[in-house]
Parts: sequence; C-alpha cells; structure tokens
Amino acid sequence: MLIDQLDLKRAIAGDERALRRLWTRHAPHVDAVVRRLCGDAELAADISQEVWMQIFRALPSYRGDSQFGTWAHRIAVNRTLNALRKIRRIAKLEVDIEDDSALVEPDTDRTFIAESIEQAMTRLSPGARAVFVLHDIEGYTHGEIGAELGITPGGSKSQLFKARAKLRKLLAHLVDESPSVAGKAHVAPV
Amino acid sequence: MSHLSEDRFDQLVSSERARDAAPLNTWESIAQRAREEGLIRDHRTAMWVTPWMRAAAAVLILAGGITIGRYTEGESVATASGEIAADTPPVSPSAPARFSNVDEAWATLERASADYQSASAFLAVNNSRASTAPDSVSIYRERLAALEQLMRATASARENARRDPVINQYYLAALGAREATKQQLGAARPASFRLKGF
Repeated sequence: MLIDQLDLKRAIAGDERALRRLWTRHAPHVDAVVRRLCGDAELAADISQEVWMQIFRALPSYRGDSQFGTWAHRIAVNRTLNALRKIRRIAKLEVDIEDDSALVEPDTDRTFIAESIEQAMTRLSPGARAVFVLHDIEGYTHGEIGAELGITPGGSKSQLFKARAKLRKLLAHLVDESPSVAGKAHVAPV
Repeated sequence: MSHLSEDRFDQLVSSERARDAAPLNTWESIAQRAREEGLIRDHRTAMWVTPWMRAAAAVLILAGGITIGRYTEGESVATASGEIAADTPPVSPSAPARFSNVDEAWATLERASADYQSASAFLAVNNSRASTAPDSVSIYRERLAALEQLMRATASARENARRDPVINQYYLAALGAREATKQQLGAARPASFRLKGF
C-alpha cells in the first residue's frame, strides 16, 4: 500500500503520527491473531504491546517484499508464540500435543455453550488452539505449523482434526442459525 | 452429543478469518512504551534541535567573543556599554521580567529584539577601535561567514516554528549581528574596496 510506504519512512525516523497511522491501520488484524493464539485477553494485551514494539523495531528491515500487513502479521505470530513459549505454555503444549490435547475438561463441556468460534477456541488446549488458528484462520501449511511449534506435519494434521471436532461439538447449538445449511445439521458426525 | 455440520463450521471459520477486533491496547500505552525505547522521537524537536542548538551556540560564541575581545583590548564591557547608557535603560539580570499575559511578553520580546538590532548597529558604527585592529578584516569575514550559517539554520527552523519566540529571537539576533558585521567589515576594509555582497 502506497500510504504504508510513505508512512514507513517517517515511522522509521520516529514520527509518532506515522507510527500511529500504521498501528491504527493494522492493529485490528494484528491484535486479532494475538488474541486468538493467547485465548486470554489480559495476556494478549501484554503480548500485543511486545508485538508492536517488535514491529516498530524491525521497521528498518522491512523491504516491501510482501504487504506491510502480511509482514507485521508474521511478526505477530512469531512473537506471540515466542512469548507463550517463554511462559511455558507452549512447552506444555508441545507435550500435550502428543497426547489427546483436543480433549480438555470433558466434564464441563456439557454445560459450556459457546456463542462464537472465538469463545469456543478458549476451550481448546493451547496447542490445539495454536494449530487451529494457524491453519484454519491464518492459512499456514502443516509444514509451517510444524516448524513453528516444533512438531511434525502429521502431528499438526492430527491436532487440527481433533480441534475442529471439538469446536463443532461446542458450537452444535448454532446449527439452526444458518438458513443456508438448514436441514443439513448432524450430517457430519464425528 | 451432536456436532455442528462441516459446512456451517466452515462458514464460521471464514467469518472469523475476516473478522478484525478492537486493538488490545490504547495508542497512548503503545506510544509511551515506544517513546521509552526511543522508537518515537519528537519529530519537530528532531528537526529543530540541531539548528536551534547551533544557533544558540553561535550566538553565545559571538557574544562571548565580543566580550573577550573588549577585555583583551583593555576596554571594559562596562565602559563600552556606557556609550549607549543614555539611550538604553540598564538591564538587571538578577531581576527577571514578569509578565501578566502573552501579549505583554510578546511586546517585550519584540522590543528587546529591536533594541538588540539598534545596539548592534550602533556598535558597528561607533566601535572604531575594533575596526582598526590589524586582523579585523579577516575576523569580520570569518564572523560574517559564521553568521550566514546561523541565518540559514534559524531561517530553516522558523519554517517549522514561525511563532516560536526562542527561534525568532535567535533569528533576529543573527540578522542584526550580520548587518552590523557587514558594516564593520566595510569600515575596516581599505577605501578602495567596497563590499558588494557576501
């Protein structure tokens, strides 16, 4: 985007207005991925601040090979996963991911009714959530996810399958809200 | 327990993919952190500081040079200023002026600027001892060159801060000093030479 390019030079020079424009334009999308990966608003806010500092620090290295938003998004994913690793959540994830991490808190699942997919994602384990967000929302391949999370592509596929099944179960009550799929509920039991 | 259909679930995922959320932090909190790390630099300050500081340094050097010059010539500053004492009220640095409003401060600043220029012009005409010093021509030429630089710096700074009293003061001071120096240089040169420009 041309405006990004113009703002970029000013932002690198430390112009607050240019930095603010970049943040205003991209924060909704960048912060969204941070929030999805974290699953916790307070933690996500802290990590988001780190993410934006990293984006601002790295501005001089942005070469324009990809769109600024894509570049910033990649930083957000990497930084968030690193932050989660640091607080040992990913470490736990990497252990859990070899187990059946999509099956969490089965007793309370019966009473939990998710109103949105974002809310339902909070019921996933950190590992399953990361795989689901990276693949289905962010469009990463299983190979890329494996590289990011230190698991095999096959493990990523397995986790994605389980995560999707879990989410579909948690969101089952939404079946009647879509006229286009009325009558097609329960056609894909797991 | 039933499951949401794959189609419906894919619709939800697609919606989630396109959905943006409100930023997790305010810009103020982000900016504060960025400022602490030096990632935000006051743009106007960054543009002003160098010429501003140069202007301040140049004026101080200029004033200091004149003072030292007079002392080394054996003429006290008090004596020199005494020549214009009848027209200029004494200034007491220990008693800073107090202003009741902005207009009053502006008026004082403009008056002080005019006084400075008048004093500079007076000295240029009447301070004949300095103009006859053996190296006065080279000294004035060097000073004129320095003042030209100062003029350019302050003029550039004024482009961004036309109403900044400090920068305006330095600009006017440099302007007055340059004109005075031109006159001094003209007086110090042999009569066969005429200063046509610099």
